[in-house]
Amino acid sequence: MVGIRRLIAGSAGTLLVGMFAGFVIASAVGVFIQDSGLFGASGESPIARAYMLGLLQRDPNSIVGIRPNQSIAQRAAELQGADTSRTTTSITPLSLTYIGGASVGGYSVHIYAVDLRNAQGVDQFFPLALTVSGGKVVRSE
Amino acid sequence: MNEARAVATLSLFAFGILAGVVVHAFVDKGPAENPYPALPKVEEPRAAHDVIAAIGADDAQALSRLVDSTMLTDLDTAIQPITDVRSTKFVGAVESEGRLLSAYVVTGKTTDGIDFVVGFVLRVTNDQVVGVN
Repeated sequence: MVGIRRLIAGSAGTLLVGMFAGFVIASAVGVFIQDSGLFGASGESPIARAYMLGLLQRDPNSIVGIRPNQSIAQRAAELQGADTSRTTTSITPLSLTYIGGASVGGYSVHIYAVDLRNAQGVDQFFPLALTVSGGKVVRSE
Repeated sequence: MNEARAVATLSLFAFGILAGVVVHAFVDKGPAENPYPALPKVEEPRAAHDVIAAIGADDAQALSRLVDSTMLTDLDTAIQPITDVRSTKFVGAVESEGRLLSAYVVTGKTTDGIDFVVGFVLRVTNDQVVGVN
Protein backbone atom coordinates (compact mmCIF):
# COMPACT_ATOMS: atom_id res chain seq x y z
CA MET A 1 0.00 0.00 0.00
CA VAL A 2 2.78 2.40 0.99
CA GLY A 3 4.69 1.37 -2.14
CA ILE A 4 1.76 2.23 -4.39
CA ARG A 5 1.30 5.60 -2.67
CA ARG A 6 4.97 6.37 -3.16
CA LEU A 7 4.74 5.34 -6.79
CA ILE A 8 1.74 7.58 -7.40
CA ALA A 9 3.28 10.52 -5.54
CA GLY A 10 6.57 10.10 -7.38
CA SER A 11 4.84 9.85 -10.75
CA ALA A 12 2.67 12.89 -10.05
CA GLY A 13 5.74 14.84 -8.98
CA THR A 14 7.66 13.89 -12.13
CA LEU A 15 4.67 14.82 -14.27
CA LEU A 16 4.25 18.20 -12.55
CA VAL A 17 7.95 19.04 -12.82
CA GLY A 18 7.80 18.08 -16.51
CA MET A 19 4.73 20.27 -17.05
CA PHE A 20 6.41 23.19 -15.33
CA ALA A 21 9.55 22.72 -17.44
CA GLY A 22 7.44 22.49 -20.62
CA PHE A 23 5.53 25.64 -19.72
CA VAL A 24 8.73 27.60 -19.01
CA ILE A 25 10.43 26.32 -22.17
CA ALA A 26 7.41 27.18 -24.34
CA SER A 27 7.22 30.62 -22.74
CA ALA A 28 10.94 31.32 -23.33
CA VAL A 29 10.80 30.07 -26.91
CA GLY A 30 7.68 32.18 -27.52
CA VAL A 31 9.39 35.33 -26.22
CA PHE A 32 12.46 34.63 -28.37
CA ILE A 33 10.36 34.07 -31.50
CA GLN A 34 8.32 37.22 -30.83
CA ASP A 35 11.39 39.37 -30.27
CA SER A 36 13.36 37.99 -33.20
CA GLY A 37 10.49 38.18 -35.66
CA LEU A 38 10.99 34.55 -36.70
CA PHE A 39 8.12 32.73 -38.41
CA GLY A 40 6.49 36.07 -39.23
CA ALA A 41 6.01 37.05 -35.59
CA SER A 42 5.64 40.79 -35.22
CA GLY A 43 6.97 40.99 -31.67
CA GLU A 44 3.88 42.90 -30.62
CA SER A 45 2.85 42.53 -26.99
CA PRO A 46 -0.79 41.63 -26.24
CA ILE A 47 -0.61 44.13 -23.38
CA ALA A 48 0.55 46.95 -25.63
CA ARG A 49 -2.16 46.12 -28.20
CA ALA A 50 -4.87 46.08 -25.49
CA TYR A 51 -3.63 49.43 -24.20
CA MET A 52 -3.74 51.02 -27.66
CA LEU A 53 -7.25 49.69 -28.34
CA GLY A 54 -8.43 51.02 -24.96
CA LEU A 55 -7.00 54.44 -25.79
CA LEU A 56 -8.51 54.62 -29.26
CA GLN A 57 -11.88 53.41 -28.02
CA ARG A 58 -11.62 55.88 -25.12
CA ASP A 59 -12.38 53.20 -22.60
CA PRO A 60 -10.13 53.68 -19.52
CA ASN A 61 -11.87 50.78 -17.73
CA SER A 62 -10.58 48.30 -20.27
CA ILE A 63 -6.95 49.17 -19.56
CA VAL A 64 -7.09 49.74 -15.82
CA GLY A 65 -5.41 46.39 -15.13
CA ILE A 66 -2.44 46.99 -17.41
CA ARG A 67 -1.43 50.46 -16.25
CA PRO A 68 0.52 51.49 -13.19
CA ASN A 69 -1.74 51.91 -10.15
CA GLN A 70 -3.43 55.29 -9.89
CA SER A 71 -5.23 56.97 -7.03
CA ILE A 72 -9.04 56.92 -6.98
CA ALA A 73 -9.12 60.65 -7.79
CA GLN A 74 -6.90 60.15 -10.85
CA ARG A 75 -9.07 57.28 -12.08
CA ALA A 76 -12.27 59.30 -11.56
CA ALA A 77 -10.80 62.29 -13.41
CA GLU A 78 -9.81 60.06 -16.28
CA LEU A 79 -13.29 58.54 -16.52
CA GLN A 80 -14.78 62.06 -16.51
CA GLY A 81 -12.42 63.05 -19.30
CA ALA A 82 -13.30 59.97 -21.33
CA ASP A 83 -17.05 60.60 -20.89
CA THR A 84 -16.68 64.23 -21.94
CA SER A 85 -14.52 63.23 -24.86
CA ARG A 86 -17.03 60.61 -26.04
CA THR A 87 -20.02 62.95 -25.85
CA THR A 88 -18.54 66.23 -27.05
CA THR A 89 -15.90 65.28 -29.58
CA SER A 90 -15.91 62.95 -32.48
CA ILE A 91 -12.65 61.17 -33.14
CA THR A 92 -12.47 58.53 -35.81
CA PRO A 93 -9.43 56.24 -35.78
CA LEU A 94 -8.32 55.67 -39.37
CA SER A 95 -5.47 53.27 -38.77
CA LEU A 96 -3.44 51.64 -36.02
CA THR A 97 -0.06 50.30 -37.08
CA TYR A 98 2.42 48.41 -34.94
CA ILE A 99 5.78 49.70 -36.18
CA GLY A 100 8.06 47.55 -34.03
CA GLY A 101 9.74 47.12 -30.69
CA ALA A 102 12.50 45.52 -28.66
CA SER A 103 13.19 44.12 -25.20
CA VAL A 104 15.96 44.59 -22.68
CA GLY A 105 15.80 42.67 -19.44
CA GLY A 106 12.33 43.05 -17.98
CA TYR A 107 11.47 46.03 -20.16
CA SER A 108 10.04 46.02 -23.67
CA VAL A 109 9.23 48.94 -25.92
CA HIS A 110 6.45 48.87 -28.51
CA ILE A 111 5.96 51.67 -31.00
CA TYR A 112 2.70 52.40 -32.81
CA ALA A 113 1.56 54.86 -35.47
CA VAL A 114 -1.96 56.21 -35.08
CA ASP A 115 -3.92 57.99 -37.79
CA LEU A 116 -7.18 59.58 -36.69
CA ARG A 117 -9.66 62.19 -37.87
CA ASN A 118 -10.85 64.76 -35.32
CA ALA A 119 -14.20 66.53 -35.07
CA GLN A 120 -13.02 69.27 -37.44
CA GLY A 121 -12.21 66.68 -40.10
CA VAL A 122 -8.47 67.15 -39.70
CA ASP A 123 -6.32 64.02 -39.95
CA GLN A 124 -3.70 63.57 -37.26
CA PHE A 125 -0.84 61.15 -37.69
CA PHE A 126 1.28 60.56 -34.62
CA PRO A 127 3.40 57.87 -32.93
CA LEU A 128 3.10 56.40 -29.48
CA ALA A 129 5.89 54.46 -27.74
CA LEU A 130 4.81 52.19 -24.89
CA THR A 131 7.19 50.70 -22.34
CA VAL A 132 5.90 47.45 -20.85
CA SER A 133 7.27 45.90 -17.68
CA GLY A 134 5.83 43.36 -15.28
CA GLY A 135 2.69 42.95 -17.37
CA LYS A 136 1.87 46.67 -17.29
CA VAL A 137 2.40 49.69 -19.49
CA VAL A 138 4.72 51.78 -17.34
CA ARG A 139 5.43 54.56 -19.81
CA SER A 140 3.49 56.01 -22.71
CA GLU A 141 4.74 58.90 -24.83
CA MET B 1 13.60 -3.49 -13.16
CA ASN B 2 15.66 -0.36 -12.56
CA GLU B 3 15.91 0.28 -16.30
CA ALA B 4 12.17 -0.04 -16.69
CA ARG B 5 11.65 2.43 -13.84
CA ALA B 6 14.11 4.90 -15.38
CA VAL B 7 12.40 4.66 -18.77
CA ALA B 8 9.00 5.13 -17.16
CA THR B 9 10.18 8.18 -15.21
CA LEU B 10 11.75 9.77 -18.28
CA SER B 11 8.65 9.02 -20.34
CA LEU B 12 6.48 10.60 -17.67
CA PHE B 13 8.75 13.65 -17.57
CA ALA B 14 8.67 13.96 -21.38
CA PHE B 15 4.88 13.65 -21.33
CA GLY B 16 4.81 16.37 -18.66
CA ILE B 17 6.90 18.68 -20.86
CA LEU B 18 4.51 18.09 -23.74
CA ALA B 19 1.54 18.78 -21.49
CA GLY B 20 3.22 21.99 -20.26
CA VAL B 21 3.69 23.18 -23.84
CA VAL B 22 0.04 22.45 -24.61
CA VAL B 23 -1.12 24.30 -21.47
CA HIS B 24 1.07 27.27 -22.46
CA ALA B 25 -0.47 27.32 -25.92
CA PHE B 26 -3.93 27.66 -24.35
CA VAL B 27 -2.93 30.19 -21.70
CA ASP B 28 -0.74 32.46 -23.84
CA LYS B 29 -3.09 34.31 -26.16
CA GLY B 30 -1.58 36.57 -28.81
CA PRO B 31 -2.53 40.23 -29.24
CA ALA B 32 -6.23 41.00 -29.65
CA GLU B 33 -7.39 41.51 -33.21
CA ASN B 34 -6.74 44.99 -34.59
CA PRO B 35 -10.10 46.41 -35.71
CA TYR B 36 -8.38 49.23 -37.60
CA PRO B 37 -6.41 49.06 -40.83
CA ALA B 38 -2.60 48.95 -40.56
CA LEU B 39 -0.32 50.99 -42.81
CA PRO B 40 2.34 49.25 -44.91
CA LYS B 41 5.95 49.56 -43.76
CA VAL B 42 8.37 51.67 -45.79
CA GLU B 43 12.15 51.91 -45.92
CA GLU B 44 14.11 53.95 -43.41
CA PRO B 45 14.39 57.55 -44.62
CA ARG B 46 17.96 58.71 -45.26
CA ALA B 47 17.63 61.87 -43.16
CA ALA B 48 16.43 59.90 -40.13
CA HIS B 49 19.17 57.31 -40.64
CA ASP B 50 21.82 60.05 -40.47
CA VAL B 51 20.41 61.36 -37.20
CA ILE B 52 20.28 57.93 -35.57
CA ALA B 53 23.78 57.14 -36.85
CA ALA B 54 25.09 60.27 -35.10
CA ILE B 55 23.36 59.21 -31.88
CA GLY B 56 24.73 55.66 -32.14
CA ALA B 57 28.25 56.98 -32.78
CA ASP B 58 27.95 59.43 -29.89
CA ASP B 59 28.86 62.15 -32.42
CA ALA B 60 27.44 65.33 -30.87
CA GLN B 61 29.03 67.52 -33.55
CA ALA B 62 27.31 65.69 -36.40
CA LEU B 63 24.03 65.69 -34.50
CA SER B 64 24.26 69.43 -33.93
CA ARG B 65 24.48 69.95 -37.70
CA LEU B 66 21.52 67.67 -38.47
CA VAL B 67 18.76 68.95 -36.18
CA ASP B 68 17.82 72.28 -34.63
CA SER B 69 17.88 73.16 -30.93
CA THR B 70 14.17 72.47 -30.39
CA MET B 71 14.53 68.98 -31.77
CA LEU B 72 17.66 68.41 -29.68
CA THR B 73 15.62 69.25 -26.57
CA ASP B 74 12.86 66.88 -27.71
CA LEU B 75 15.45 64.20 -28.43
CA ASP B 76 16.93 64.62 -24.96
CA THR B 77 13.47 64.15 -23.45
CA ALA B 78 12.74 61.16 -25.69
CA ILE B 79 15.78 59.15 -24.67
CA GLN B 80 15.48 59.89 -20.93
CA PRO B 81 16.51 58.27 -18.60
CA ILE B 82 19.32 56.89 -20.80
CA THR B 83 22.48 58.94 -20.54
CA ASP B 84 24.92 56.46 -22.06
CA VAL B 85 23.65 55.12 -25.41
CA ARG B 86 24.93 51.61 -26.13
CA SER B 87 22.93 50.67 -29.21
CA THR B 88 20.37 52.01 -31.64
CA LYS B 89 18.00 49.96 -33.76
CA PHE B 90 15.66 50.93 -36.58
CA VAL B 91 12.42 49.03 -35.97
CA GLY B 92 10.28 50.30 -38.83
CA ALA B 93 8.76 53.23 -40.65
CA VAL B 94 5.30 54.05 -41.94
CA GLU B 95 4.00 56.79 -44.19
CA SER B 96 0.67 58.57 -44.47
CA GLU B 97 0.11 61.31 -47.05
CA GLY B 98 3.75 62.34 -47.23
CA ARG B 99 4.21 62.29 -43.47
CA LEU B 100 6.72 59.68 -42.45
CA LEU B 101 7.32 58.20 -39.00
CA SER B 102 10.61 56.38 -38.53
CA ALA B 103 10.81 54.43 -35.26
CA TYR B 104 13.91 53.52 -33.25
CA VAL B 105 14.78 51.68 -30.08
CA VAL B 106 17.73 52.87 -28.05
CA THR B 107 19.35 50.80 -25.32
CA GLY B 108 21.82 52.13 -22.82
CA LYS B 109 22.49 52.88 -19.22
CA THR B 110 20.91 55.37 -16.89
CA THR B 111 22.93 57.62 -14.59
CA ASP B 112 22.55 54.88 -11.97
CA GLY B 113 24.12 52.33 -14.34
CA ILE B 114 20.85 50.46 -14.93
CA ASP B 115 20.24 48.92 -18.36
CA PHE B 116 17.24 50.57 -19.98
CA VAL B 117 15.43 50.66 -23.30
CA VAL B 118 13.44 53.53 -24.82
CA GLY B 119 11.64 54.00 -28.09
CA PHE B 120 11.26 57.19 -30.05
CA VAL B 121 10.16 58.30 -33.46
CA LEU B 122 11.60 60.79 -35.92
CA ARG B 123 9.09 62.64 -38.07
CA VAL B 124 10.25 63.10 -41.64
CA THR B 125 8.71 65.30 -44.30
CA ASN B 126 10.25 66.16 -47.68
CA ASP B 127 13.41 64.18 -46.83
CA GLN B 128 14.00 66.24 -43.71
CA VAL B 129 13.66 65.38 -40.05
CA VAL B 130 11.02 67.78 -38.77
CA GLY B 131 10.28 66.43 -35.31
CA VAL B 132 11.00 63.98 -32.52
CA ASN B 133 8.40 62.10 -30.49
